[in-house]
Amino acid sequence: MADLETLKKAVEAGKRKDAEAAANAALAAGAAPGDLVSKALIPAMASVGEKFQKGEAFVPEMLVAAKAMKAAMEIIRPKLVGTSYQPLGKVIIGTVRGDLHDIGKNLVKMMMEGAGFEVVDLGVNVEPDKFVEAVKQHSPNVVAMSALLTTTMLSMPETIKALKSAGLRDKVKVIIGGAPITDSFSKEIGADGYKPDAFSAATLAKELVGKK
Amino acid sequence: MSGGDIRITLQPFGTVFRMPAGHSLADHLIVHGVEFPCGGRGRCRGCRVRVLEGSLPETPADSAQLKPGERRAGWRLACQARPESDITIELRQWTALILADDTEFPFTPGEGLGIAVDVGTTTLVVQLLDLATARVMGTETALNPQARFGADVMSRIAAAADPASAGRMKEAVRKSVGDMVTKLCTRISASGRVVRATIVGNTAMHHLFLGFPLEPLASYPFMPKHLEGVDLAGSELGWGGQAKGASARFLPNLGGFVGSDILGVILATGLHRAGPPAGGADLGTNGEIIFSSGGAITVASTAAGPAFEGARISQGMRAAPGAIDRVVIEEGKMVAHVIGGMEASGICGSGLVDAVACGLEAGLIEPSGLLPAGKLPVREEVALTRQDIREVQLAKGAIAAGIVILMREMGIAEADLAAFHLAGAFGNSLDIGNSRRIGLLSFPADKVKPAGNAALLGAKMTLFMPDGGRKACEDIISRVRHVSLETSPDFQDLFAEMMAFPERG
Repeated sequence: MADLETLKKAVEAGKRKDAEAAANAALAAGAAPGDLVSKALIPAMASVGEKFQKGEAFVPEMLVAAKAMKAAMEIIRPKLVGTSYQPLGKVIIGTVRGDLHDIGKNLVKMMMEGAGFEVVDLGVNVEPDKFVEAVKQHSPNVVAMSALLTTTMLSMPETIKALKSAGLRDKVKVIIGGAPITDSFSKEIGADGYKPDAFSAATLAKELVGKK
Repeated sequence: MSGGDIRITLQPFGTVFRMPAGHSLADHLIVHGVEFPCGGRGRCRGCRVRVLEGSLPETPADSAQLKPGERRAGWRLACQARPESDITIELRQWTALILADDTEFPFTPGEGLGIAVDVGTTTLVVQLLDLATARVMGTETALNPQARFGADVMSRIAAAADPASAGRMKEAVRKSVGDMVTKLCTRISASGRVVRATIVGNTAMHHLFLGFPLEPLASYPFMPKHLEGVDLAGSELGWGGQAKGASARFLPNLGGFVGSDILGVILATGLHRAGPPAGGADLGTNGEIIFSSGGAITVASTAAGPAFEGARISQGMRAAPGAIDRVVIEEGKMVAHVIGGMEASGICGSGLVDAVACGLEAGLIEPSGLLPAGKLPVREEVALTRQDIREVQLAKGAIAAGIVILMREMGIAEADLAAFHLAGAFGNSLDIGNSRRIGLLSFPADKVKPAGNAALLGAKMTLFMPDGGRKACEDIISRVRHVSLETSPDFQDLFAEMMAFPERG
């Protein structure tokens, strides 16, 4: 019986080396690669996310956990090929035009990956057209936009408009986040949802994908 | 409200309340944190106020305690006053909370009078100087009237997207500064004319004052089109009296969000001189950091967020009456000092740093920032929440990471640093030991030098330069390199690393 609990604990504690060792050990013991993801990595990140939400963990803990998860994932990914493992869906993420702040966006990306999504990261200062191109190219389920400034959040409605004119708006769910964003702003600009932190953003994405 | 109610406006914080005409003003000021050192018996001058609008009849205590010139200028003892009609008064005690500057500095004597203006996002300070002696003849302070368009720089920039609002912000700040200049000239019975004025402010304040469009400051790459200094005549600024003929200059910006206020800080702290490695910071919403070594200068602004200004903290507030500004541990218990000695209505930046340091020392906050109890009581009516501690971690992490990156860029080792200057209100009220305790600053306490309102001091220094500081400013600008922290590859990891608090012991 492969030991998935050790892998889960190592990721939760942000111990990269331990996580790599535990992933190798579990695979060597014959665990299904998909199980490592669904029974160790995803629950570990969910646990860190819940702690973050309750104020029990913060950015540094989340970053080290995400790094440990990524390291383990590097080992597991090649073994997933040819198995029945399917990511939850695909998310395109980026910080909107005019904005350079990417730590919040990176945390959301980590929680999305931690929830089992495949994530395409467009980086910072992403033009509305670039979002449109990426949607055409990757056919994601969810587009996630981030902005830290009251002045740059106005690029969000522009991106939504650009998606509409390209005829892509009803093919994806659009979610937004960042310090100045509110629920009412999200409704006003016709986004599909807003959440105040990275973990609940990933939960929201799961709900939206489930509904589709 | 009875028909006999009158309206009292308190400056410089703009508090308004109503009270019955003819009643004791003191009874109503106590709730707003005004102190009466002699117990309200008219024996000291501690509660004096200046009538700005309306009138307050002179009392025998006024004649005994105040000079005729002071009484003519509108000064009264608040403890004896019984206003009969609406008045606006300026409180001496509150004015003292806005940071001006009375540092002595070397100067070359000139002729006539000079004016230095610090256009801050929150506060405005104007000083009148005798250019022959460098003596400060008078200081006027006020809150920036643009505040009603938004408290911080970004919300003002957002508001300025509407040209009508941008116009109103320009008019409002010019009028306030103009009124302060005119008031200073009338109040001070100095002979001579104001020949020169220097104005400093951050890039957004520069743009709003001069009427330049703010769009370039709204989004990446945050590069203002107008970095230049601008000359203005006193008459076109609506300055009256002796200041009518003054030639004023808004000093140039250094780039991005780093404006002439930081230029002033550099001049005042001598960071432009080719000396040993030294640094400085002005810790507002955009914490600006400066390092210099052998004549080369780097600057950066960090998106530290407004936690140290009291924003985004559940019971946060500015350093105004009612704010906890100092916390110490006595006999194992937290003891908080409140500005104005009243009941606490919140906590300001310096109190926040103290409270977190005390919480760490007491083991109530873990080095990771975890607050196991969920609440950190500072005083009966004020407590910090888990989220508040996280906001402090974000703010101090951004500043500390910015400092590390700039020092690396300049190749400065901490051991070689000669001095680190702290400009601005928060930096000057900060307890250095506690700033080290929470890991905001890592420098030995004897190297950290409070620099007062260094932006204003720098502005004053230019008044004594033959060309109004043109050459000095150009020289500094030619040697300043602006570093963008967000694009620095290790910023995120450093930022996260710096969010943790140092271990105990």
